[in-house]
Amino acid sequence: MKIALFLTACSIALGQGQNWPMYNGNYASQHYSTLTQVTPANAGKLAVDWVFQARSLEKFETTPIVVDGVMYLTEAPNNVVALDPVTGRQFWSYEHKLPELTHPCCGRVNRGVTLSDGVIYHVTHDAKLLALDAKTGRIKWETAVANYKEAYALTHAPLVVKDKVIVGPAGGELGIRGFLAAYDTKTGKELWRFNIIPGPGEPGHESWGGDSWKHGGGSIWVTGSYDPELNLTYWGTGNPGPDWNPGMRPGDNLYTDSVVALDADTGKLKWHFQFTPHDEWDWDAAQVPVLADIQLNGRLRKTMLWGNRNGFYYVLDRATGEFLMGKPFVKQTWASGLDDKGRPMKIAGRGPSRQGTQTWPGVQGGTNWYAPSFSPRTGLFYLTAWEDYHSTYYFWDQQYEQGKWFAGGGVKAPVPPTNRESVVTRTTEDGYAIVRALDPATGKVVWDFKMQDMSESGILTTASDVLFSGNREGWFFALNARTGALLWKKYLGGQVIASPIAYEAGGKQYVSIAAGTSLFTFTLSQ
Amino acid sequence: MWAIFFLPLLAALPVTLPAQESETALANPFTSDADVAAGEKTFLSQCASCHGRDGRGGGGGPDLTTGRYKRTSTDEGIFQIINKGIPGTTMPGFMLNAGPVWKVVAYLRSLNLSRSHQGVPGDAALGQALYAKFRCAGCHESTAPDLKLVAGNRSAGELKSSILDPSAEVPSAYWRVKLTLRSGQTLSGARLNEDTFTMQLRTREGLRSLAKTDIARAEIDRSSPMPSFKGKLTEAELGDLLAYVSRGAK
Repeated sequence: MKIALFLTACSIALGQGQNWPMYNGNYASQHYSTLTQVTPANAGKLAVDWVFQARSLEKFETTPIVVDGVMYLTEAPNNVVALDPVTGRQFWSYEHKLPELTHPCCGRVNRGVTLSDGVIYHVTHDAKLLALDAKTGRIKWETAVANYKEAYALTHAPLVVKDKVIVGPAGGELGIRGFLAAYDTKTGKELWRFNIIPGPGEPGHESWGGDSWKHGGGSIWVTGSYDPELNLTYWGTGNPGPDWNPGMRPGDNLYTDSVVALDADTGKLKWHFQFTPHDEWDWDAAQVPVLADIQLNGRLRKTMLWGNRNGFYYVLDRATGEFLMGKPFVKQTWASGLDDKGRPMKIAGRGPSRQGTQTWPGVQGGTNWYAPSFSPRTGLFYLTAWEDYHSTYYFWDQQYEQGKWFAGGGVKAPVPPTNRESVVTRTTEDGYAIVRALDPATGKVVWDFKMQDMSESGILTTASDVLFSGNREGWFFALNARTGALLWKKYLGGQVIASPIAYEAGGKQYVSIAAGTSLFTFTLSQ
Repeated sequence: MWAIFFLPLLAALPVTLPAQESETALANPFTSDADVAAGEKTFLSQCASCHGRDGRGGGGGPDLTTGRYKRTSTDEGIFQIINKGIPGTTMPGFMLNAGPVWKVVAYLRSLNLSRSHQGVPGDAALGQALYAKFRCAGCHESTAPDLKLVAGNRSAGELKSSILDPSAEVPSAYWRVKLTLRSGQTLSGARLNEDTFTMQLRTREGLRSLAKTDIARAEIDRSSPMPSFKGKLTEAELGDLLAYVSRGAK
């Protein structure tokens, strides 16, 4: 069975080898490397090889790509850097000049670029998509994806499928109307657009009361996946707006908090699955769609594995969107369970109130945007989870004004969201992070690695059964992917809010992770 | 009149970081009760998601009710932060029109808890004598909470509760810990910091950092080492002490 898993997983994960060619490693977004030089036996010999220091002190959420001897990464606010992945020395940098006021909701972050056919694709806070010559860093073309003055801002690494580059805008707290759009890789001409918030006459429009669809959110801020056999591209969509005043937007609010499966050639919706209909808590489905073929009830299925911000783990049929199973993976108090279609059975009175309502999970969710991982070797699904974590949710009245905050409420939580605390005296009573290994078919916990504070680090697994992750305490560590046993750790002194990658250059395996305002790259010491 | 006068003035504001304040900072031209009320409305709409409905933080943004800000002390500095944001943090720039921003500044100033301490009855000079008599400085000017900082974060009522029942609510930064190490040695002290793999503490002997793998048992003591003053002070003395402490013990 393990062999069957490996072969089928490879069929959708081809083209990686020594490179880390795209944000999530491959089209299946397994965040898995086929490299094997670093093993559970020698991981203790990992040492820092070089450090890239970003020029900006802003949040550093980049996940680099490495293609044929060059690493490309982004630094805040919208710079692209090409460097030597063996020494860290720079080849070129592109500095994007932004207008004085743009509207990224939560810091001027950018999570990475992608490369295809000698061209780097890069998005910006002034809502542009740029094509840069990978050899020079010079602009080949640029396209306005949306109007940044209306609070559209782009933050995620684009996805190239055949001759199209696919992107969507962030801005779910600022009253945008989300969409996904594909552009010609050669010219930047828009080729299709899918409205995440359907307009009048479009299916799903009926799920929005009154005019609420006009500023309904549904942002895109994490890169999607692609299945070449099905020719479907999958994207997780953001929260409806205003976030915490659901009374202003009656209905299910399609296609927010959903995964949408689109025909990569036409942008037509093949299927959708909404994790949190009529969201009241800001639980974006901005997670990475992980594609894996797994045995389910004695049958090999083409599935999608999804740990959602709402605290539930899901398995979907990625050809049809059929709900195959789902169960909570962290403490949650808002739903009594999922029905046989996967729709949550909400418990009344757990949404925001004027006086505040305490609900698990908290606003940052049971997990969030950082990469989970699927290892075809262990057959396990790994995710960073926030366990026993809650927030108090409030709503208040909100008017829409262009370019202004449009959240309709707020939260209080004993654990702050992304934070650069150098001293933490909270205990795990307020919640804690875990690297959690799940049996993907059943959602049962196989092992946990418990941390003291929270983590916004993604996970990398390798073909030698080593798992890499970090946390916002500033640690980066390696675990045995089969058992969760700690193999190695290094204190980097800055929070990890990114996902690790592995690549090979000059016959050596390297592992890189952004922490604080630097990118650290490790290899085995001699 | 102000609005007409102000607009060209705003355009002339130097594009500098808030920390680089000029000595001739602009005063807030919008400080009436109506301005404060308008500022509250904007605060609720644009700021409260992170800074809390009451301005005391909790949603990711810091407490704004203390009257002390990390990066500025002037109205103009607050104005600039609201307009331009704080690079390197999640605080965005809002670039609202000048009037609404000044009104938010007025509202923030109205939240200042330490201002409300001006009305605390009692004789601060007598309170200072009590502070000396009970040797409060022995702890509060070394390891216990610095009253110059704490007073601004607490209402007079909260300060009174802390004097009468110090252990009722002790922030985790002041918890103590007793450790039994795998070697059999015991250690106790202030629990300064903790993560997944290590713990830092201050013992009588000095600062210690320990690997958690060396710790067999950790017991956290959440009580305050400060004695309760319930029954030890008359109402008048309590008022005097409060008058002194609420002004930052200075």
